Amino acid sequence: MTFTLLIQSILAGLTNGFVYGLIGLGIAVAFRGARIINAMQGDVALIGAVMAYSASVSFGLPMPVGFVIGVVAGGLTGFLVDRLMIRPTLKRRGSEDSLLLVTLGGAFAVSAAVLLYFGRDSYPIPGIGGNDIVDVFDASMRVHAIWLIVISLAVVAALRWFYAKTLVGQALLAASIDPEGALTLGINVGRMRALTFGLGGLVGGLAGVLVAPLINIQYEMGLLLTLKGFAAAILGGLSSPFGAIFGGVLLGLVESLAVVTISSGYKDVVSMTLLIAIMIVLPQGLFGRRGRLGG
Amino acid sequence: MSALLEVREVSHRFGGLHVLKGVSFTVEAGSVTGLIGPNGAGKSTLFNIISGFLTPSVGRIVLLGEDATRLGIQHRSRMGLQRTFQTPQVFRDLTVRENLVAGCHRHGRTGVLEAFLGLPQVRREMRDAAIVADAAIERFDLGPYRDVPAGELPAGRQRMVELARAVVAEPKLLCLDEPSSGLSTAEVQILMQVLRRLNEEGMTILLVSHDMELMEITSKMHALCFGEIIASGSLDAMRASPRVREAYLGT
Amino acid sequence: MTALARSATAHLWTGMLMVAVLLVWVALPWFLSRSAIDILVFTGIYTIAGLGVSFLLGQCGIVSLAQSGFYGIGAYATAYGTTVLGLPIPVCIVLGMLVSAVIAAAVGVPVLRLSGHFLALATLALAIIAHVLFLELEWITGGTLGIGGIPRISLFGFTFATPFRFYYLVWPSAFALLLAYSLLLRSRTGIALRAMRDAPAAAAVAGIPIASLKVRIFVLSAAVGAFAGSLFAHYVSFISVDSFAIDRAIGFLLIAVLGGVRSIPGTIAGALFVTAAPNYLSRLGDIHPLLFALALIVAVIFLPGGFGGFMANLGAKLSSGGRRPSAPAGG
Repeated sequence: MTFTLLIQSILAGLTNGFVYGLIGLGIAVAFRGARIINAMQGDVALIGAVMAYSASVSFGLPMPVGFVIGVVAGGLTGFLVDRLMIRPTLKRRGSEDSLLLVTLGGAFAVSAAVLLYFGRDSYPIPGIGGNDIVDVFDASMRVHAIWLIVISLAVVAALRWFYAKTLVGQALLAASIDPEGALTLGINVGRMRALTFGLGGLVGGLAGVLVAPLINIQYEMGLLLTLKGFAAAILGGLSSPFGAIFGGVLLGLVESLAVVTISSGYKDVVSMTLLIAIMIVLPQGLFGRRGRLGG
Repeated sequence: MSALLEVREVSHRFGGLHVLKGVSFTVEAGSVTGLIGPNGAGKSTLFNIISGFLTPSVGRIVLLGEDATRLGIQHRSRMGLQRTFQTPQVFRDLTVRENLVAGCHRHGRTGVLEAFLGLPQVRREMRDAAIVADAAIERFDLGPYRDVPAGELPAGRQRMVELARAVVAEPKLLCLDEPSSGLSTAEVQILMQVLRRLNEEGMTILLVSHDMELMEITSKMHALCFGEIIASGSLDAMRASPRVREAYLGT
Repeated sequence: MTALARSATAHLWTGMLMVAVLLVWVALPWFLSRSAIDILVFTGIYTIAGLGVSFLLGQCGIVSLAQSGFYGIGAYATAYGTTVLGLPIPVCIVLGMLVSAVIAAAVGVPVLRLSGHFLALATLALAIIAHVLFLELEWITGGTLGIGGIPRISLFGFTFATPFRFYYLVWPSAFALLLAYSLLLRSRTGIALRAMRDAPAAAAVAGIPIASLKVRIFVLSAAVGAFAGSLFAHYVSFISVDSFAIDRAIGFLLIAVLGGVRSIPGTIAGALFVTAAPNYLSRLGDIHPLLFALALIVAVIFLPGGFGGFMANLGAKLSSGGRRPSAPAGG
């Protein structure tokens, strides 16, 4: 393997890693606030990307407006997921499995709806800085990818501030950690869950508009993104925004190094095997507490 | 070999909390051994260590002369150890009869494939288990509930189902965790009768409770307090022991 | 009327109902169009594959999305074995089931230690891995080009070449497996499974080997899935990777959820829906996957017992004069 190829694959892994991290971030936000795995996170991103594409390419709106529309669409989807799917399931005392099945169903529904609307083709979307490229040790990186990394880190910082410093952020955490206690404090747990899913949706929509210029929009992309994002989130401890990004980068790097050493066709085999291995070996994440509590 | 169970120098910690500090005692074959202690004395932890739900930080569990410290729950079950739980754990969706058939599981040999192919020995085993179950239903006075899902029974009856389920497994050592809690006075009397008779039939029983009345059926007792055994002896000796009285009256 | 007489009458009614069902089943293809029989053949194949998924979910609480992989292994094994290696069909079918079982055991031992959403997502990951491998291992699977010319099944000189004929092969197989799963459920192993679902700690004390039972049921389900895949390959005589994608995994899970995971015969209803619905909806174009997904959501939220549970509930309500709408208790 040449040095340039190595650098190139590291850059690609880094970029992909932040993509997975962003998806994982949304999963972590929903899990942190509601203790529910949203298996639709990748498809929320798909919705964000499709909306941004429609607004800017189909309707000719300026790109930044398209971006905003995509992000908002993601947030709205998150909110609707809670209202239309999570809430009715919880009301009927659905189990953890039911919740996952419902969101999985939602993921397939979104994918099928995009298929209906867009067909089987994939669609390119222009990125920030167009197709400009930066050279790093003879390897190249899209300017957009750098923006993606910067924005991801900014989102993590913003989320940290939100949970630590704002009243709503703390209410969100309280409602998820101790729903009954939160109720006695006058916190509306149902509303907090909707807010959490809305927030996760916003992050998902953002991930979508940021990812779309790098990988073409395609109706089937959501599920794989979800699973890789999930792997990232678990590596990071499942409820830590920073951890999700870190886990995503790690996953992205391993995946892209595997691609150069094995074969690009087996990329998803590598990442899915990693996902399973992570769940078995590191269910608490890289920084998680080990050992069980007595009682 | 007269000791069915030996607990040797068992210590256990949860985080920084020492729940058990070097506990040693034996359960002689054919005895009814009692383990008393106030809440938080470490009884449940010790019980979980004996039955294989926890591995002790330090120390050994010797079951039937074999080191069982690291053996799994199922393995100990096959060796002849049965336990009940402080809050009765019946199979809620299963009828009382099915609960007892499940209790007979260790007597059977047939597995998934034999059952799937409908081999005759599967039916034979089922019939044998049903005979044992029906006898136990008679013995534990559960007749009216035979085909009722166990989860729908009153708490006292669930405890009886759990006890019956442990008994049909024909254990050498039967460990009971607070078997009298939630029972009426009359039900406790019945329970004591049942346990006495089981013991007469040769079953060794380890009884964990803070119910002194129930301890009348024991032949030897150990008092556990803050993770240590503070006294051992007969029930009368225990009642006379100042340390035990202090531990009990102190709380 | 004495209890004995009542039970005798009940037996008589059940017996007559069975005979009626049998007659309808035998007569059905004679009155249906070729395409309708084709749907019924697929219903039979999917019933077989769905049975495994349904039993895993209902009795072991394992959400398995990996069935499309085992289904594919069965199909490719028989396709490769008959067309390339020239082995006899029964050998290939058994081979596919064995390969599936071995892989399921190897994968199941680590993966089935997981539970809840981790387990479900792990099986989804397995389905994706299987799909990629079917695509990449071209020397076996033919990749996107697939394998054609898979021979028809013959028995005593009778070739199951048409949907009409295949109907009489697939349904007896499906009924036999339905019976086998019912026997399993009613055996002490079935009781052990339900016990460990209800109270795992107490089940362990009773000596029920929880982890190994789960793996065994998973292996059984994989073998049954492979059998369905083999039947599929021999029926359509051409297979490609498209038949074993994620939507097939969803379809199998939907069969289980719609049919009611606690109800073994309910699986047929689920399979009928999953095969017939897209056929009629396909006239509307690509909308059927969307309706499928929505069906999954609605079924999980509003019909937790599936069709089977719904019917059992209705039956209980009717027989008790609508006094006690109790939940169906397994079986």
